[in-house]
Amino acid sequence: MKVQVNADMCEGHAKCEKAAPEVFKVGDDDVSVVLVDDVAPELMEKVERAIRMCPRQAISWAKS
Amino acid sequence: MSAPTLKLSDINLNDPELFEREGAHEVLRMLRREAPVHWNPGGEVANGFWSITKYEDIRFVSRNPELFISSKGIAGPGIRPEAMQNLGVGAEQQNAGANISIIGMDPPRHVKMRRLVNKGFTPRAVNAMEPEIRRITNEILDKIDGRDELDFVLEVASQLPLAVICGMMGLEQKDWALMFDLTNKVLGSGDPEYQTDVPEEERGTSAAARATAMRGVGTMMEYFRNVLEDRRKNPREDDLPTILLEAEIDGEKLSEGDLLAFCFLLILAGNETTRNGISGGLRVLCEHPDQKARLLKDMSLMDSAVEEILRWVSPLHHMARTATADAEIRGQQIKAGDRVLMWYPSANRDEDIFEDPYTFDITRTPNEHLAFGIGEHFCLGAGFARRELKVMFEELFRRFPNIELAGKPERLRSNFINGTKHLPVRLNTGR
Repeated sequence: MKVQVNADMCEGHAKCEKAAPEVFKVGDDDVSVVLVDDVAPELMEKVERAIRMCPRQAISWAKS
Repeated sequence: MSAPTLKLSDINLNDPELFEREGAHEVLRMLRREAPVHWNPGGEVANGFWSITKYEDIRFVSRNPELFISSKGIAGPGIRPEAMQNLGVGAEQQNAGANISIIGMDPPRHVKMRRLVNKGFTPRAVNAMEPEIRRITNEILDKIDGRDELDFVLEVASQLPLAVICGMMGLEQKDWALMFDLTNKVLGSGDPEYQTDVPEEERGTSAAARATAMRGVGTMMEYFRNVLEDRRKNPREDDLPTILLEAEIDGEKLSEGDLLAFCFLLILAGNETTRNGISGGLRVLCEHPDQKARLLKDMSLMDSAVEEILRWVSPLHHMARTATADAEIRGQQIKAGDRVLMWYPSANRDEDIFEDPYTFDITRTPNEHLAFGIGEHFCLGAGFARRELKVMFEELFRRFPNIELAGKPERLRSNFINGTKHLPVRLNTGR
């Protein structure tokens, strides 16, 4: 599964980085980027938590 | 003697006095249990509205900003169309300017406007500002050092957020008191204490509230017209009015109305809510001496204490939305055009989400409260609010660990802002 961050919405709160550091990293421009192409099954739960916790609700699963 | 039993049919959350006397929690608790999506009938002037009281439902409404829009008003039930004419109130005046600032904007324009300023509010920007926040805090505390009793709201809680936002706006210090006064008039318009432009015998009426808000907005408009005029001639670096003046959306500069509304919002939102977070926070800590003692013993608990303060206080009682299409929430049919009020204090006491929600616990984990909302309109200033609370309590308790309440708090008459107007405290420095 692919996960995406809406860069227009993201304001760098870094909740995602805290929830799933393997998947998200907030860059110098205060926008979170996705570090992986595909989210490994064992990280799905962490990513789900990141999606839920994001204050701007800027993260979503990409429709493939 | 038992207290009179609360009846569902008697509930009216459009009664600001219910919030002033702190009766709302009992009502919201009942709604969560018996009617979590509840139709609150309107009155002669006010619209009826749906009260949304469950955490997950407030998330749902917040996450669907196209279905539940902000541009029809974000505070209160709004005025019935048929009453509007009698009152001589125009649609624009009704929302006191909120309909054109980002807080009352919908996608896709909302994000474009918000992006003009949001870099000034990121965690990075907040970190950079922290030394300044600490300096201002100590300046405020220097002024009360040596005193015995004082009004914590007027002399401490209001002063920090006012200085921070006025600083970011580049306003001269001599004008800060005016900004405080105007904020009270606009956001506290329903409280007789701020209706000073209305003859005494007319205070406390809804007409007095409208007159007060309108007068406040008018004065603020005039003030910021001058600020914008000045920045056009003398642009400044890193000052929000200048940034807004130079900004473009899709190749177009902002209109005078957009600029004014933006300035209003920054000033109003920037100083009122944080003020109430600080005063509400001190109050709840003093009312829970075990929790205060625990924090004083281990200040590394401050971050989580601030989150619990935010959950407990919920500085905003509600935000309003209007449905653009028929929708269903928890089995209730919401019609297109219906007004929906999200009650944040209720989400933050939701028994399905928070264990022992009525226990104030500075170590509560997890604590995913909705005090700042969520999604499209998540509070732009949340980072500053959190840091201002943290720095204030760090410095306050370092310098005045024995501070205690010295009287009853005086609360704002409002079902929108969870305000404390006055909070008498004693510093107990033993000097």
